[in-house]
Amino acid sequence: MKLNIEGLLVYFPYDYIYPEQYSYMLELKRTLDAKGHGVLEMPSGTGKTISLLSLIVAYQRAYPLEVTKLIYCSRTVPEIEKVVEELRKLMEYYSKEAGEKNNFLALALSSRKNLCVHPEIVHANIIVYSYHYLLDPKIADLVSKELAKKSVVVFDEAHNIDNVCIDSMSVNITRRTLDRSQANVETLQSTILKIKETDAAKLKEEYRRLVEGLKEANVARETDIYMSNPVLPDEVLQEAVPGSIRTAEHFVGFMKRFLEYLKARLRIHHVVQESAPQFLKDISEKVCIDRKPLRFCAERLRSLLRTLEIADIADFSAITLISNFATLVSTYSKGFTIIIEPFEDRTPTIANPVLHFSCMDPSIAIKPVFERFQSVIITSGTLSPLDIYPRILDFHPVTTASFTMTLARTCLCPLVVGRGNDQVAMTSKFETREDFAVIRNYGNLLLEMSAIVPDGIVAFFTSYIYMENIVASWYEQGILENVQRNKLIFIETPDAAETSMALEKYQEACENGRGAILLSVARGKVSEGIDFVHHFGRAVIMFGVPYVYTQSRILKARLEYLRDQFQIRENDFLTFDAMRHAAQCVGRAIRGKTDYGLMIFADKRYARADKRGKLPRWIQEHLTDGSLNLTIDETVQLSKHFLRQMAQPFKQDQLGLSLLTLEQLQSEEMLQKIAQIAHQV
Amino acid sequence: MDDQGCPRCKTTKYRNPSLKLMVNVCGHTLCESCVDMLFVRGSGNCVQCDTPLRKSNFRVQLFEDPTVDKEVEIRKKVLKIYNKRDFDFSSLREYNDYLEQVEEIVYNLTNNIEVERTKQIMEAYQRENRDVIQKNKAKLTREQEELEELLLLEQQDNEQRRLETLQEEQRQLQAKRKNKQALLDELERSHVPATILLAQHKDRATQLENQIEKQKQVVKTTIFSTGIPMGQTVLLQPVARIAEVLYSYKPIEINTYGPPVPELEQLGRLGYLNHVRAAQPQDMAGGYTSGLACHRAIQDAFSGLFPPLG
Repeated sequence: MKLNIEGLLVYFPYDYIYPEQYSYMLELKRTLDAKGHGVLEMPSGTGKTISLLSLIVAYQRAYPLEVTKLIYCSRTVPEIEKVVEELRKLMEYYSKEAGEKNNFLALALSSRKNLCVHPEIVHANIIVYSYHYLLDPKIADLVSKELAKKSVVVFDEAHNIDNVCIDSMSVNITRRTLDRSQANVETLQSTILKIKETDAAKLKEEYRRLVEGLKEANVARETDIYMSNPVLPDEVLQEAVPGSIRTAEHFVGFMKRFLEYLKARLRIHHVVQESAPQFLKDISEKVCIDRKPLRFCAERLRSLLRTLEIADIADFSAITLISNFATLVSTYSKGFTIIIEPFEDRTPTIANPVLHFSCMDPSIAIKPVFERFQSVIITSGTLSPLDIYPRILDFHPVTTASFTMTLARTCLCPLVVGRGNDQVAMTSKFETREDFAVIRNYGNLLLEMSAIVPDGIVAFFTSYIYMENIVASWYEQGILENVQRNKLIFIETPDAAETSMALEKYQEACENGRGAILLSVARGKVSEGIDFVHHFGRAVIMFGVPYVYTQSRILKARLEYLRDQFQIRENDFLTFDAMRHAAQCVGRAIRGKTDYGLMIFADKRYARADKRGKLPRWIQEHLTDGSLNLTIDETVQLSKHFLRQMAQPFKQDQLGLSLLTLEQLQSEEMLQKIAQIAHQV
Repeated sequence: MDDQGCPRCKTTKYRNPSLKLMVNVCGHTLCESCVDMLFVRGSGNCVQCDTPLRKSNFRVQLFEDPTVDKEVEIRKKVLKIYNKRDFDFSSLREYNDYLEQVEEIVYNLTNNIEVERTKQIMEAYQRENRDVIQKNKAKLTREQEELEELLLLEQQDNEQRRLETLQEEQRQLQAKRKNKQALLDELERSHVPATILLAQHKDRATQLENQIEKQKQVVKTTIFSTGIPMGQTVLLQPVARIAEVLYSYKPIEINTYGPPVPELEQLGRLGYLNHVRAAQPQDMAGGYTSGLACHRAIQDAFSGLFPPLG
């Protein structure tokens, strides 16, 4: 259908539209008009992708000078493929309706063999790739250098974007890395000696270039610094490599000293935490290495590898990591912390020294994106509470809105189970994890659910260790046996191959007969990527609140930083993180308006206002006061009622309510209702 | 590092993990006991390379590779002499050339290439630039002290902030507890019906919440509005004088393009004040007179009368 959204003609390739899709496109258009950034939360399974694409393509056609490119960033390759499918449909619709041949070019970059498309990127109108190509400074240089300012960037499934930013700027160095780097340095040294005998001209040429301060076309403008440091003045970026690392031998000696220093630092017997400037001070005292040569480390190494014509760059990954670490530690003084642990907390007897250089401020990696591009849209199904993202990513959106699903029949039923039949509170709180009664109550819940829910149930635990403990206890108590009489049980493990096998068999079991139960973990691969549509997921049980491991020092440093910089309380942030994972997990069950599912939150803490308030709006709507703090019996009753209702054939009378034709869309009352769907924050 | 053995007594290092390895100017290692033994016999030559050594030159080995230790020692000594900084040079290129020179010297001394000539070059440089070296040395120590001070201040600030947030949270908890206790006491004692008491209590609780929210929003400022961070040490250099044109006051002229507005003092005589409410004693205490309001109203009226010509 052809829509008119505030004066913009939008081609929408389907005959029916959901009211929330229309509302979403309206908000999106307003954000683009204002040339600002936006945070939009829309439930999954409501056609977010096609709404985004059709509106932005229409905007591009109407104002080709305002929006030159659309950059669509997604998380995984299957998601990128889905986007390309929708785009293809849209383009077919355009050529059918408009009659004219569309000269839009869309590019998808997904794997290594699809990367070398540099000249084509300049002409493409739509580019689809993974987040990392825009956020990770080491990769962004290679791929995203030529992207123009007047582009729209969309981050889809962006609820984890702050973690992606942090990971891209963090480095972990172990003893093994240092040993491998040592081997690399020795290889470099021998190669240099060999080249000096055979073809000394190359080294002399490089030396001359470094003296003149000229830079190679690609090594030039060390864009990993540029993209990460738009605040540095250009003269600093154009500076020549310092004289102390000009010749190849001096540079190799420099790297040797640096490695030795790191080895000495790793030889400690207690935990050390310090900031980047303190680290630099210590380095300059112990081995007389200053900040400036460290900053040029990565660039100098790249130049050297190029001059020596090393064929297999992958062999030198260890030394490249060290040089990246050197560059990062000398460039940033705030927002990073260095933690050196002699052993891991859980295995205090095994000596495993590790240096964690961790970024505490996600805004550092994403700041260049916000400043460089005109409009950046962050969207996902679970972004609540919406005001936290602008704070931790340090940007000012012109729109923050949360959308709900308009449903012809209420197809989700969230319930909070707080007590067992013996009135013992059910919770995954650390103090009660070993409590026999709690574990038995959890087992009881699963048993009752397995008896009444048809087809597949997915259960999420807070961590692998917790899951193993509980399952072991259940086995001893005989609960697993009883459950297996009703359904088969599959379990997710840290091993990828086992998990995909378990997933395959689970899906097979759901197709035939009584179905199965999949036990998995809240931050694992299953919760991040797999959808459980229709009979694959009729109920999702969240056992406990999925907090991260709160004793980790890196996490503590990050919380302190957030408290000092952004005035976000530690408790608030931990709860926000736990709830977004919980919402992500339960959101796996609903992937469309004809799909239905039970969402069971099995922890008494979910009934509290501070946790409930952090669930996305489209779940909170259906969480009434009567569904809080239930016992297992009451839960079973409500679930039976819900499932029986849902099992009735769906009379497809969505039309007019949650599915609209063009005429219905344009009626006055519908437009009014649509205006109420978006909830501005 | 622990699997290195002393080159002389080899076994002793494994047997006694607390034994330290020492390094000297020739770059070879020896364990502590071997060092003592070497100088008991009076001879002071290195076991591996036979260079004459002094006992005081032995330092505890910090790095796994003893050549790195040697290099760091040499570098520290060289940098004491070659301590020019980037502002001593007129261009970046010169500074980089100077740095390269220093590297060459260190490299030669470490790898025993042309040691004599290098030492001569160093001495010549030292003689020529004696005063520059002195000045830079003094500057360096001063800078280091300043840096230490800054770090100390920062640490103190952090500590203070942490304590403050802790205290704040304690206070909030106590306030909440007091509120609850007050409610219970009131329910016991007072004769007002319970529903009213509960409503009052709820009111107070929400007020408390709002207060807490507001306090959370108060951001501790760390910089003045001009951009100077608080707590920064003041530079004692004189500020450059900027000569500018002084401002002189010129009273504004309002053109009403019509009849002129009467002066404030004339209003009473012209009879305008008869149509205005007389000022009460309370008003006059604050400085209000009826003439002010009247004058204002007249100005408004007159300025809208005629449009400007042309």
